[in-house]
Amino acid sequence: MIETLKEMFSFEHVKLDAVLEATYETLIMTGVATLFAFIIGLVLGLILFLSSRKRGAVSTPVYGATSFVVNLFRAIPFIILIILLMPFTKVLMGTIMGVWGAMPALIIGSAPFYARLAEIALKEIDKGVIEAAESMGASTWELVYKVLIPESLPALVSGITVTSIMLVGSTAIAGVIGAGGLGSLAYMVGFTRSQPDVTLVATVVILIIVFAIQIIGDRVAKAIDKR
Amino acid sequence: MIDIKNVSKIFRTKSQTIEAVKDVSLEINKGEIFGIIGYSGAGKSTLIRLLNGLELPTEGEIIVGDASIGALDKKDLRKKRQKVSMIFQHFNLLWSRTVIENIMLPLEIAGVKKEERERRARELIDLVGLTGREKNYPSELSGGQKQRVGIARALSNEPEVLLCDEATSALDPETTEEVLNLLLKIREELGLTIVLITHEMEVIRKICDRAAVMENGRVVEVGPVIKLFQAPEHDVTKRFVRDDLDDEETEIQIESIKETFPTATILKLGFVGTKARAPIVSMLVKKYGLDVNILSGNIKNTNDESYGHLYIAVDITSDTLEQITNDLNAESVNVEVAQ
Repeated sequence: MIETLKEMFSFEHVKLDAVLEATYETLIMTGVATLFAFIIGLVLGLILFLSSRKRGAVSTPVYGATSFVVNLFRAIPFIILIILLMPFTKVLMGTIMGVWGAMPALIIGSAPFYARLAEIALKEIDKGVIEAAESMGASTWELVYKVLIPESLPALVSGITVTSIMLVGSTAIAGVIGAGGLGSLAYMVGFTRSQPDVTLVATVVILIIVFAIQIIGDRVAKAIDKR
Repeated sequence: MIDIKNVSKIFRTKSQTIEAVKDVSLEINKGEIFGIIGYSGAGKSTLIRLLNGLELPTEGEIIVGDASIGALDKKDLRKKRQKVSMIFQHFNLLWSRTVIENIMLPLEIAGVKKEERERRARELIDLVGLTGREKNYPSELSGGQKQRVGIARALSNEPEVLLCDEATSALDPETTEEVLNLLLKIREELGLTIVLITHEMEVIRKICDRAAVMENGRVVEVGPVIKLFQAPEHDVTKRFVRDDLDDEETEIQIESIKETFPTATILKLGFVGTKARAPIVSMLVKKYGLDVNILSGNIKNTNDESYGHLYIAVDITSDTLEQITNDLNAESVNVEVAQ
């Protein structure tokens, strides 16, 4: 026990350039996947919100179909999603390994999650404000970009913070099966070569990234909230 | 200006069918301030939303200006809404936009150029008395100021019709007065037609020219405001008028006065129109040498006339009563002996 702890804090196996590279890979995977999750999730969230407002020949089936797809992809555990998507990833990205090989699974795993968060954010908008915009003659598109997005922005930002932190976790899982990044470092180097000090360092760096995302997200959400 | 012809609106859900508006016909003239009063659930919010197509009628036709609202396609309806604007009970401002940005929103939707948007928004900010507040966010304003922004926003596309959905119901009495005066001012300066719904008779009395009373989806009485106050026909109208005059309180007072002055005759003098400002009481004192005991009075001003009543106790014979009645009737003051 004490031996293990000693080894953990010895840092003798830790190579700075390896840690920096893994950190960079984690940041790239998280950043790019967050960006796509935001765009795709917001579009899906808007479709869910707009189609749930009124019953109709178009809106009811659109809501049903979108909701089904979102629920389906959210229900698949991430590790299984990666495996399921492998043939698709191979065609799309040319590889199933490394940072870019992990990207499709990361995006498809997180976008439906963000879609639900975006839908909740949009539902929080005061109905009266939407009615006011309609009474001014706003089209659906004008309603979306002049009212819905600005009025729900703090909640959309909080949602992207949550999604982004979830993605840091997902990159670590992806790392175990060959995606690179801090998860890969902790498993491939730290665990399989019995170098617990490397695992510890990878963990600390992940924690720092998570805390940084949370703090930045909170600050941004607060700064744009004029309520 | 607005012609509502046999309009009904039925909401159907799986579990129930609600007839919110039943066979309503109304004509509203250009430049008029028209009030629709009713208790909650009377159908007035649905009725006003039929005027800008936020709700579409199940039956009947609504003509605003030169267009039949139900017959417009989506694009034309959006265009029409720019000329039939609306203000709301809870203001419905965008918290994410400053005062001036809120006022410019309808102009952005209408595709007005940036410099023109700013010029018009600034003019309106001056008109509604919010100069210097352009850069504030709605959260930094009081209720009355928020409604002023709402009004400025509604006026930005130079509408023909302004719809007011319980516009003063969330405001305190003083602020209500300010907002009502502002509505009178913009009617005078811009000559637009105003349709308002409310559950407060005070609002009808202060600014409306004509009003309709609604109950259970139907219009039960419609007429000039002064007529509704002077001779209400339907029970609902009577209730609204009585609530506005606090008549119940007066009746209690009369009971106790009768005990104190058992020999006195109690007269209820009813005023309608501008005569309410004539010096009736001093005439009675001078001409008949009477001791007049004023019990209770209630004079209310509508937007261009006054009406109300005055309860007085006097010791008189029936002959003098007749004379006084004739004199006062000549001044168009109505005399009743209160029992």
